[in-house]
Amino acid sequence: MGSADEFIKLRCVSKEYATASALRGIDMVVEKGQWVSVVGPSGSGKSTLLNIMSGLDNPTSGQVVIDSTDITAMKEDEMARFRREKIGFVFQQSHLIPYLNAVENVMLAQYFHSIADEREAADSLERVGMGHRIDHKPSQLSGGEQQRICIARALINSPQILLADEPTGNLDRENTRKILELLNRLYSERQFTIILVTHDPFVAQWGRRTITMEDGKIIRDEYR
Amino acid sequence: MKVLSRFEIRRFLFFFARSVSQRKGRVVIASLSVMLAVAMVTALAGINSGIREKLGAELKAYGANIIVSPRNGDSIEAAALDKIRGIQHVEDASGQVLGKVFIGGYAIELIGLNIDRLKYSGWRFIGDRPAKRNEVLAGIDLRDALRLAPGKTLSLESNGGKADFIVSGFVEKGGPEDSSIIMSIEDAWELTGTNNVFSAILVRGEPGKLDGIARDIVRDVPAVAAKTLRQVASAEESLLSKMQLLMTLVTLIALFASTVSVASTVSANVFERKKEIGLMKALGGSRSQITLFYTTEAVIIGLSGGLSGFIAGYLSAQAISRGAFGSFIHLPQWMILLSLAMGLSIALTASHFPVRGAMRYDAAAILRGE
Repeated sequence: MGSADEFIKLRCVSKEYATASALRGIDMVVEKGQWVSVVGPSGSGKSTLLNIMSGLDNPTSGQVVIDSTDITAMKEDEMARFRREKIGFVFQQSHLIPYLNAVENVMLAQYFHSIADEREAADSLERVGMGHRIDHKPSQLSGGEQQRICIARALINSPQILLADEPTGNLDRENTRKILELLNRLYSERQFTIILVTHDPFVAQWGRRTITMEDGKIIRDEYR
Repeated sequence: MKVLSRFEIRRFLFFFARSVSQRKGRVVIASLSVMLAVAMVTALAGINSGIREKLGAELKAYGANIIVSPRNGDSIEAAALDKIRGIQHVEDASGQVLGKVFIGGYAIELIGLNIDRLKYSGWRFIGDRPAKRNEVLAGIDLRDALRLAPGKTLSLESNGGKADFIVSGFVEKGGPEDSSIIMSIEDAWELTGTNNVFSAILVRGEPGKLDGIARDIVRDVPAVAAKTLRQVASAEESLLSKMQLLMTLVTLIALFASTVSVASTVSANVFERKKEIGLMKALGGSRSQITLFYTTEAVIIGLSGGLSGFIAGYLSAQAISRGAFGSFIHLPQWMILLSLAMGLSIALTASHFPVRGAMRYDAAAILRGE
């Protein structure tokens, strides 16, 4: 196990695209169990940072170490295994499979991780307040309900890290508050690490630490 | 790829079935593409396997490839026929009596031959064949010219005398026979006043051995000339070769077209499921776990298309064979395995590149909606 002080460590991470630089030499350390909000204007590199931490994208240069493992040196299938063991995702769009019902969507994450267990998946939906909707397809659910299912799916395999990219971006204030309360409750129960990207100050304030990005760089790092 | 437990296989099949049930139409179209190609290949292979034998038999019926004619006179002794039949590489031989008969003062060609042998020839019959003495066949041109009908009595006159014959039916061959009177050799001998002699003997010899057969005939049968019909012989070989080349080309084109069709269906399917693939990657799905969905789909498309293609191809081959050769074709049992293997190959080849491309999708960009 890596040190709790340096659970996630980025060293001089850059990401260059053909026409622009998304990240410029990012150095950053996240402690185990921290809730970090990453804020900044559109195009500041927040989502790219999240994608590089998840291994869905590779940095042009630099190193990403998670739980003492250098993920930038991993091969594709090693990265996939690492991702399903350690990381849960919540996106702005729900990205639920439309032809699977709520419990089956959660079971899909179990399937890739180990063994799909319907009872366990139903319990996880119960914990996010969706126990009464397990047989419903995504099209029969509201945006807030869909995000709850995404949270259940992200946490079903007990990941150590939850990466959330604008998870409330498509929700109204009331639903945003409910989702954040849910996340906060689960975070308190399980103490996983949250990296949450948002441009909404209301959402950002739920984190214990806020990193502000601009033009591919971290310009501010505040603890609350 | 790790070996899946029975439980994991059940779970995989559960998600796979859900996924396929959403795209039944596409899967059916892809299976149909494979089926068409396999059906065409099976039908052509089936026909091809029997075509030499069948076409050989047809050409055999179509005509002789050696004509034996008298060298110093008008006729050949009937005993020569048995001698010729006994010569090596001779497949068949039959004597013919050729002459002229008169109907109401008009001269008509007369062909006397062994009527039973006509059953195996390429002649088309209308009405009945002669079943007893004094029954004749008329060519269709003669039928039209004389307005003949089955059962009509014809008074035929020749050097040997005059006799009445009943028209039992008509024949069509597309040659001078269509304006002739055809009767049994015995009737022809009696009508023309000849006996136990032939005007010519038509010999069917094994293609490629004709020169040797002709030499043997001249050696064994006195006072005859044997002429090989090289054009007939070489045309047979040339026709068979061209047909086989044509069938091979059609087969290759069918395979190519089917592969392209399945590839485009799989590509469209993969493109439609970009988001799903991105999500599977984000959920930690490995390359093998994700491709297993598509490979299994390809296997199902290949096997169902291969099996239905074999059935359709077999039925088509039988229909074509019945129409063209009047007989059934026997397909070897391994052909069903070949059809399944062909269906699988088409589906797996066609899905290989789209699926490989799908694995290169930038999951992060897809999930951002880019």
